[in-house]
Amino acid sequence: MAKEKTIRVKVNGAERRATVEVRRNLADFLREDLELTGTHLGCEHGVCGACTVLVDGEAVRSCLMLAVQAEGHEITTVEGLTTPDGDPGPLQQAFWDNHGMQCGFCTPGMICAAAALLRENPHPTAAEVRERLSGNLCRCTGYQDIVASVLAAAEGK
Amino acid sequence: MSAFAAIGKSARRVEGREKVTGTATYVADVHPRGAACARLVLSPYAHARIKSVDVSAALKVPGVIGAFSGKDIGGAEILAIDEVFFAGEAVAVVVGEDEAAAEDGADAVQVDYEPLPVVSDPIAAMKPDSPLTRASKGESHDDAGAHGAAVGGAGTGRPKPRNVNQMVEFQRGDLAKGFAEADVVLEDTYRIARVHQGYMETQGSVAERAPSGGFTVWTTTQAAFGARDATAKFLGIEAHEVNVIPTQVGGGFGGKFVLVEPLAAALARRVRRPVRVILDRTQDFLVSHPAPGAIIRMKMGARKDGTLTALEAELVFDSGCAPGAPVGIAALLLGGTYRCPNLDLVGYEVLTHQVDPGAYRAPGAPQGYYALECHMSRLADAVGMDPLEFRLKNAVKEGDIRPDGRPWTRIGLIECLEAARAHPMWRNRKKLGPDEGVGIAVGGWGGGTEPATGGCRVNPDGSLTVQVGSVDITGVNTTFALIAAEVFGLPVEKVQIATNDTDHAPYAGASGGSKTTYTVGAAVLAAAQEARTQVLEMAADRLEAAASDLDIADGRVFVKGAPNRGVTIGELARLANRFGSRYKPLHGQGRAAVHTASPGFAVQLCQAKVDRATGMPHLTGYVAVQDVGRALNPAEVIGQIRGGAVQGIGRALFEAMEHDEGGQLANATLADYAMPTSADIPDIDVVLVEVPSELGPFGAKGVGEPPAVPGAAAVVNAVEAAVGVRVLNVPIKPEAILNGLEEGGTR
Amino acid sequence: MKAAAFDYEAPASLEEALALLQARSDDAKILAGGQSLMPMLNMRLARPALIVDINRLPGLDYIRVADGQLRIGALARHTAVAKHPEVVRGWPVLAEAAAQIGHDAIRNRGTVAGSLAHSDPTAEHPAVLAALDGEVVARSAKGERTLKADELFLGYLTTALRADELLTEVRLPVLPPHTGSTFVEFAPRVGDFAVVGIAAAVTLGGDGAWQDVRLALTGVGGTPFRARQAESALKGTRPKAADIAAAAAQVAEAIEPDSDIKASARYRRQLARTLTERALTTAAERAAGQGGR
Repeated sequence: MAKEKTIRVKVNGAERRATVEVRRNLADFLREDLELTGTHLGCEHGVCGACTVLVDGEAVRSCLMLAVQAEGHEITTVEGLTTPDGDPGPLQQAFWDNHGMQCGFCTPGMICAAAALLRENPHPTAAEVRERLSGNLCRCTGYQDIVASVLAAAEGK
Repeated sequence: MSAFAAIGKSARRVEGREKVTGTATYVADVHPRGAACARLVLSPYAHARIKSVDVSAALKVPGVIGAFSGKDIGGAEILAIDEVFFAGEAVAVVVGEDEAAAEDGADAVQVDYEPLPVVSDPIAAMKPDSPLTRASKGESHDDAGAHGAAVGGAGTGRPKPRNVNQMVEFQRGDLAKGFAEADVVLEDTYRIARVHQGYMETQGSVAERAPSGGFTVWTTTQAAFGARDATAKFLGIEAHEVNVIPTQVGGGFGGKFVLVEPLAAALARRVRRPVRVILDRTQDFLVSHPAPGAIIRMKMGARKDGTLTALEAELVFDSGCAPGAPVGIAALLLGGTYRCPNLDLVGYEVLTHQVDPGAYRAPGAPQGYYALECHMSRLADAVGMDPLEFRLKNAVKEGDIRPDGRPWTRIGLIECLEAARAHPMWRNRKKLGPDEGVGIAVGGWGGGTEPATGGCRVNPDGSLTVQVGSVDITGVNTTFALIAAEVFGLPVEKVQIATNDTDHAPYAGASGGSKTTYTVGAAVLAAAQEARTQVLEMAADRLEAAASDLDIADGRVFVKGAPNRGVTIGELARLANRFGSRYKPLHGQGRAAVHTASPGFAVQLCQAKVDRATGMPHLTGYVAVQDVGRALNPAEVIGQIRGGAVQGIGRALFEAMEHDEGGQLANATLADYAMPTSADIPDIDVVLVEVPSELGPFGAKGVGEPPAVPGAAAVVNAVEAAVGVRVLNVPIKPEAILNGLEEGGTR
Repeated sequence: MKAAAFDYEAPASLEEALALLQARSDDAKILAGGQSLMPMLNMRLARPALIVDINRLPGLDYIRVADGQLRIGALARHTAVAKHPEVVRGWPVLAEAAAQIGHDAIRNRGTVAGSLAHSDPTAEHPAVLAALDGEVVARSAKGERTLKADELFLGYLTTALRADELLTEVRLPVLPPHTGSTFVEFAPRVGDFAVVGIAAAVTLGGDGAWQDVRLALTGVGGTPFRARQAESALKGTRPKAADIAAAAAQVAEAIEPDSDIKASARYRRQLARTLTERALTTAAERAAGQGGR
């Protein structure tokens, strides 16, 4: 019954191995141990959505999952949605080009949630985007340009 | 001024790449080598004497490095020492190897309190038998003042009730005569809740001792120089010994000036390690400075023809445990938006046992306009006039006198109302189905001023580097790039913006109060113009022509009429940076001290449909009209306006910091403090009105504050238009609408 | 907002899990989807000494129909339930309840069984279990027992599950032909916990009259409220708007809700009435419309 555990997780395509406190949540593991600080913490109680990452392709709040639970799973963070060279991937580019971010704090979670949405429904309507992203709070944009960014990405713009 | 190269064309964010790829640095991402983490211990009592603070058990917790009481750290503005004045006031702090360890330690701190009488409601606090909030007055947080919200009026000898720190009064004409002349007199009392700025990134700072003995502080602040000065003052050192490195700000909205910077630095000194103080969401809700709630009694008189004859208002602002509530600006705007010969406005800044408020997007204005704009629509109804025409008839314009006796400068309120009148939502408002209606509301903001400097360096690759000391919270860096690009006729991609730390930056004031483009932008414009002059002078020497005969296009200086006689800007910069010093480097400096503000007005239309089963209003459309002077970067201006409008809608539908009688905040989580989601909000149609400012760069006015002002009244007025139920308190409780419907609210 | 320290075990078999729970019944907490437990851990409102993570237990994420019952394993997530073709077809009330919980990311992790074991008074699934007379299977090292809703839910965040027990399966009966069902709730903000919600399932007889009516509300007390009086008042009559309204009024009368920061007791009654009306109308339409479910 150790309070620490060594885990192996595939993060953004690479096998990562680390010893973590069992109480450490996935978000802190990504941010502190792997230095993937693109995953943001806005509330740590599962409401704001800023820490949303993909676990085996599904959107998950990384503050509501223990790092040790990620053992053997595949995690994709906002850093994993870039091109192989680290340039903005298509969805990220759409957010940039369509003014889908202001302060940028909600952006990584929003992009991960949008990635999950588009994977399941490649051509959503604006109403569907509003509904499906409603678990990700944004305080700056009023959401409209975020919706436009997702729709633009869906159209390959 | 009609044909711009860069201005007026939407540019995407200069810092967009880092934000969409997750590589942007926010304060919680800053980890100096060896950094420790701090955790505050907060008072559970809203008012109590601190009998003792025992940190010994905390020091025994594994991973704890240090634990300090207020006495240990010194300076009651950071940690309470003898007495706490609100629930959530910090009384001790624990430093640990990581945040979890620090929190383990904080749990072990023992504080012995003697509870004291609490008054958490401002109306109760004003009663003669109320407990006193404070024996001595605390220091004011001037965040609202930094927004340009500090105004006052002359006193007339009204008695000052208990726990009132400050009274503001404005009088004009003869109020009794004004009411006597009115055909209709309407009186109501409106309440708007205390709300939080709701930035998605919580507050925090990271401090490290510098090799020089000074301190480096990374922080999420809107005011790098302000944070520097406050930190140095607290530490008792010179300002230059603190270097503030502003990080990306994950939303500020007025809430991020100075909070934990001094504490982080003080702890770094005490534990001899870099220290991270990152507040969690609940602590942020408890210790940061929100927007005050207000109770506003309105009494207005009008003639049948729609002429206003009298306006009486009593504004009570809950200032928490220290002065600083923006009651003056609220009264000034409330009494200054419509022409009215007879005025009597009195504002009370009341001290209670809650945290003292700070600035939040147009401090004071959302409260004042909420009361004014609900009342204006009802008064229009009462005199039988269209609410928009009623406003137009009375709206102020340039030269009209404000309650403080000063004239309005060039403003676009009438133009905004006319644009709203032309909008299809307004024209078609009578054709809606059952239980649906359109409400209108006005909002305004006086604008702010603060001096600023900027630099513009010309680079050998032909690009420009603009240097500023202001923090970008709203896309201003992209606007600065547009301004410099415009001066040189360059594409915006050829301009980089360097937001420098306080050791290296040209001075700039706080980014707040809708004044950054207006003031720092003016400095950047001057810097770019000076750099352009230098380029032309140097080119004149190279090309053996008079500078006045030269022009710049496509990154190249050439002789007018002989375009093949020219030299590129990059070549000039290369020559100017060369050994031998034949030319001085090309580097423009700009300074600006714009001391007259350019007020901005907004008009919003809300279309809402009320669900008769639940009482819940659902927004089915929204229009935001705003005079922006000139939209330098339209897409970002529109985005600002939408975001502001949604914050106003949040005040209308959801947002309230709920305190119980004991002063406890009942909803200090994002689950309980509800902010609008994407599914609660309709598309917002933005209509830009451009009445150029005579002073702002290219005619620009501040954009950020006005759109956050009208929302609460626009929604409430829409509900009344939809089902005839009069709402007086926001956030709206659907229950109140349901009760109104049951009482036969429909007219 | 970091969890207090705890030990952690992720047993690989049910037997192992049950043994752990038996050995540490005084201070262990079961972690399934974690969407309620993790916030409580982060806020230190829960401080168990041991977390027993059941997510590695094999074969517990099933959703299947067997022996006249819908059987849902302890690890079936809300998203899987909401989208499962047989659930959508045969138990719309459950699919709709699952779809109204939180947001995508919450539904992707949270489990039906976990929601029942947590017994939040405004949660959706407890009302579904109560309305459909379903049952849960509680396993411990000592054996297995089944509990009906009224046996399971004792009060606010309190169930009859013993600390050494694991809720391994949820069972809902197959609904007869000519049954319509739905879940209706109201929350001011999209995705929030309901202020009031209602699970309804009605069966119409060959004569078009109410043969069976099942109504259970959430958000009106510490446990789901089964509106038996209103149910029986409707039975035997043909669906009529006036009767539905009367039944809804009866429900509003019968409940004993509390006032809190979200809503007053009076408003909860008003909501109970209007939501009951809506749920009964929809369920009856569905029952009449397609001859089933």
